[in-house]
Amino acid sequence: MPRVTLPMSDELKSNIPQPSDAGLTASRSTVPIWIIVLTLLLLFLGAVYFDHHSGWFDKHVYAPYTSAEQLASYQPKSGAASMLTQGKAVYETYCGLCHGSDGLGKPGQAPELAGSEWVAKDITSLARIPLAGLNGPIQVKGRDWNLSMAPMGASLSDADLSAVLTYIRESWGNKNGAVSVDEMKSARVAISGNAPSAADLAKMTPLERGHAVFQKYGCAQCHGLDAKGGVPNPNAKTAEQIPSLIYVADGYTKDELKAFIRRGERNIPALHPDGPPPPHFMPSWGNVISSNELDDLADFLFSLKPKGDNLGF
Amino acid sequence: MTMINKFTTMLLGMAALTLTAGLARAEDQLDAETKARIEKYEQGPATIDVSKYPQGIQDNYETFSQKCAQCHKLSRPINCDYALPDEWSRYVKRMMRKPGSGIDSASGLKIFEFLTYDSSVRKKAMLNDKLAKLTPDDKAAAEAKIKEVHDKYDNK
Repeated sequence: MPRVTLPMSDELKSNIPQPSDAGLTASRSTVPIWIIVLTLLLLFLGAVYFDHHSGWFDKHVYAPYTSAEQLASYQPKSGAASMLTQGKAVYETYCGLCHGSDGLGKPGQAPELAGSEWVAKDITSLARIPLAGLNGPIQVKGRDWNLSMAPMGASLSDADLSAVLTYIRESWGNKNGAVSVDEMKSARVAISGNAPSAADLAKMTPLERGHAVFQKYGCAQCHGLDAKGGVPNPNAKTAEQIPSLIYVADGYTKDELKAFIRRGERNIPALHPDGPPPPHFMPSWGNVISSNELDDLADFLFSLKPKGDNLGF
Repeated sequence: MTMINKFTTMLLGMAALTLTAGLARAEDQLDAETKARIEKYEQGPATIDVSKYPQGIQDNYETFSQKCAQCHKLSRPINCDYALPDEWSRYVKRMMRKPGSGIDSASGLKIFEFLTYDSSVRKKAMLNDKLAKLTPDDKAAAEAKIKEVHDKYDNK
């Protein structure tokens, strides 16, 4: 199709910029002051909005406290409130894995604590469970259980144990009352009533004392009376059982063994990575066991290795 | 002015909270020092170039790779600070004694010999440092064990 060119008037031609006029020019100019002011104003109003609408900025939160006493004045006044906070933290670390954060337990793993008659028992009977463990058939709220619980609380201080028992006795609808640190101390003494006296210990050989330590801290609950292990630990990579201790002399120096007992091992590798975490773990005993007890325990454990049972190198 | 102070406090508070959260997380770990050490080992190489090792040691490397990787990263033993025969002996026996490890005496020996041989080549400086700190008797026993492994595999 042929292109048609129409004639342009002289007036129109004069209004078209010529190439020499068409180049863009740049020059320095300042940002209008109103944009800067507006931006700052918006930022300021935003901060004010946050201040007014967020609990984070309550003066009790960020006020510069001048002394520890002033800070303490804002903490929960009631001992029970602070015990419950502490108890919940201990519970989630040591108990919640099996008994559940909601206290309803887990089928085949651990009975419920909510509404349990065991929780309502006297303090010594209740404290015996975390301190000494529990094996064999029991009934909880009319249902039969036959499991093994390690002495999960044996490595805890009286303050932590009283806090966690208070939390259990006062949570999920339970109204069984708090457990004081003094009551916990008395319960611990009552439970270890059969432990040898200081005079008895002084007469013992190191190996006998080590055996007494083994019993005192409930090692047998997990590792067996003969320390040969075998207590079930579902989904643990160690063949779903708690390991034997009779060969520790093969794998550790005494210093390595003592360091491990002090440190414990919270993370037990899972046999099936997608399965539940193994419920039993090695508590850290460093804060509970004395240095002398640890020496005796290491001597005792090293003595357990069967004679002649060597691995060939 | 009070509002500006509050805003500044907010920014500082957020920075402090981030820092505190990081520290608290570290404290949560049962043994942060041990964990950090293991993590450091595990970040290193996970394989060893064994092409210049004797064939028997190369075979033992296969056993090591297969058995040990069942439970932990190979980079852990490869980069850890064990080098003495005694250290490897305890380490391998500790693993063997774990229920379900599946490491029998024959496999355990192969793994031990591989690790001892490898340490005498790849971790030579570390090994010499450790040997120098031993008592004369322990040093002689360690050197004898290393020689025994080399004699068994070199030039075969």
